[in-house]
Amino acid sequence: MIASRQPNGSAISALRSLLPVLVVLALIALVPLLSPSNRFLSLAISAGINVIALYGLSVLFGQTGILSMGHAALVGVGAYTAAILARDLCTGFWLALPAAALASALFAMIVGIPSLRVGGHHFVIMTFAFGQLLAIVLTNGGDYTGAATGLDLVGPVTLFGADMSDLTRYYLMVVAFVAAAAVASWAIINSPYGRTLRAIRENERLAASLGINVGRHKIGAFVVSGIFAGISGVLLAHFLGHISPTQFASFPSIYLALMVMIGGARLIAGPLAGGILVAFLPEVLNLDPVQSRIVYGVCLIAVILLLPEGLIAGVGQVFRRLLASGQPKQEREELDTASTTPSEVRR
Amino acid sequence: MKTVLKLGVSAAFCLGSLAYPALAEDNIVKIGVVAAESGSFVSAGHTLPAGVGLAVKQINDAGGIKVGGKTYKLEMVKRDDRTDIATAIAATQELVRDVKVQAIFGSETHDFTLAMAKITQPAKIIHFAGNSTLAKILTPDSVKPGGEDHYLFQSEPQEFQRSGSTASGVLTLLEPLLGYKPKKSVMIVGNDATGQFLSSYYFKALKAEGQDVPDIIFYPPDTTDFSPFLTRAKSLNPDIIHFWYNGDSTLTALPQALELGAAKSYFLFGVDPGIWKEKQLSADVPVAMSCVPVCWGESSNPKAKAYFDAYFAAGAPHGVTSSVSLLYHDYVHFLAEAWEKAGSFDPDKTVEALLTLHHQGVVSDDLTFNPTHQVTHATEVCAAAPGGDISCSMQQPPAEAPKS
Repeated sequence: MIASRQPNGSAISALRSLLPVLVVLALIALVPLLSPSNRFLSLAISAGINVIALYGLSVLFGQTGILSMGHAALVGVGAYTAAILARDLCTGFWLALPAAALASALFAMIVGIPSLRVGGHHFVIMTFAFGQLLAIVLTNGGDYTGAATGLDLVGPVTLFGADMSDLTRYYLMVVAFVAAAAVASWAIINSPYGRTLRAIRENERLAASLGINVGRHKIGAFVVSGIFAGISGVLLAHFLGHISPTQFASFPSIYLALMVMIGGARLIAGPLAGGILVAFLPEVLNLDPVQSRIVYGVCLIAVILLLPEGLIAGVGQVFRRLLASGQPKQEREELDTASTTPSEVRR
Repeated sequence: MKTVLKLGVSAAFCLGSLAYPALAEDNIVKIGVVAAESGSFVSAGHTLPAGVGLAVKQINDAGGIKVGGKTYKLEMVKRDDRTDIATAIAATQELVRDVKVQAIFGSETHDFTLAMAKITQPAKIIHFAGNSTLAKILTPDSVKPGGEDHYLFQSEPQEFQRSGSTASGVLTLLEPLLGYKPKKSVMIVGNDATGQFLSSYYFKALKAEGQDVPDIIFYPPDTTDFSPFLTRAKSLNPDIIHFWYNGDSTLTALPQALELGAAKSYFLFGVDPGIWKEKQLSADVPVAMSCVPVCWGESSNPKAKAYFDAYFAAGAPHGVTSSVSLLYHDYVHFLAEAWEKAGSFDPDKTVEALLTLHHQGVVSDDLTFNPTHQVTHATEVCAAAPGGDISCSMQQPPAEAPKS
């Protein structure tokens, strides 16, 4: 682990992974200056909301090595918490955020305790089942959950007295939340806690032999990912103004897992890249849902076979090799070594 | 780092290039359509732009509309929602804010429509949707001037009316074919938003007709093996099994039901006799079908043939739910008449005109909206005898909802 071996360079080394993401997000925040269409802004908001959930999923999958196929259900818990609180207690957006994050975290813990006892593929199946179960519960929840019709969410989102319901403002707010999620995810990755999670990912038994409480940390990672999902759910509910169970069933969960795998779960730029790619690919290439699924499937197979660390790591490798081709032999060898093991992976 | 920065700048500009300004043309009135032209709801989705597009063509071919002394042509701007709520919302934002449509039709999916209304209503866009589930939000308070759904109109009858006319028609048509008065009915229903909502009304309508309904059996959407549900239904020894509401699922379930001999007769909601004939379906027991609202394969409605001839000639495919196009086609003409009457495209004056007009459509010679912006008209029910003969009749809706 480079950060441990070179304490003086650790902060700079760690920042090198975050800075490009923040720069890209800053550029994305400038997009409204180009007077984009409202269709673009709307799709970008949906993509951004997904990216926030993806940062949580990247902590779970990328750092801890646990794949959840029920992550949309945790987003749903957050969204329904916001809608029910707004309906029953007239709770606004900002109060709903911590409440929904807490509710999703609590649900993640409830699901995680029995599910993580089995681990591996069984955990994937259990989270998938949880997603289906939640959809069934919401569908049959009567007036309390709005049944299959779902719930309306009324009331404006305000920030320092400004109405954030305007599409451009909501877009900027979502970009800010994505930046906060990226920073939070980065902080977790570069903390001792993150290193513990990676130790569990690489070798559970070895980690346990070193005194790490593997079960507790795995549940902890699931809870952390639930916090991200809960916040994502609140943003989604307030953006759409209406939520229903089908939005949080298993299929949206598969899409989230797909996004994080294509982008790259271990890199801080991965969730951002995966979220944007999956949201805009059908739009740019004018693909219908069937064609989209074929393209995603092919992408996923290609990523798994050719770019196991995800698209961003693959692109990084290509650029490093291109740069190395113009360098003297010794430097080229150093760059080649670096390209085969990206800094985040080495950690 | 520089490369990453260049990538970021390129990405931002590429994404920004998707932006384009709204175009405004003189004498053109734009009507938006949001529908599932791809994805899982495509069967019903493609009927929506087909119905609206036909009406737009008919109006333009007749010279357009005269509003305030000026003649306007209509232009349909359709967007595929891909059966995805995020795309439906993005499409609505685009149509309302960028394209600046005067009215929107769609979507055929209930929860999409509710989310779309959050955009169309504050923007004062006249919004028609053929979802009877809109009754949940169309209340005297919500539709009054200044109310949150003042510009939203339900182009399908209230569900107690549709269910009432359907239940009455099914029982009336099946009785002579069965040779006795059916007494026991079992409902098999898709367990989604629409299925849950609709089945509660149809259950009450059957009870109001004196039926014993021992069970409503829900099946998960996308079910292909109906045998567990049919076995359960058969054990109740029903005179009629009512498949409610997804026509595509119903066509999957019926052969299994016939093989199992689950009931003495069947009712297939939303399956047109045209599909029955085209697929060369047959049954050794009577089978009733209903259309939303008028059938294309066989109809007792005198205007239906001319309409569906024009509809299919325009390139629309023959489908289980082709008749759903009439939940939109008539209302483009209705809206055009309202604009002419109002003498303006002002949304408030248009709403006033819509609420006072009696429009002659294909579905009915007297289409009107009630004070909560819901339309009333008959529903067509047909029945295929074991020999293959099909008879149809337009069933008028009950005046009042049955007491529960």
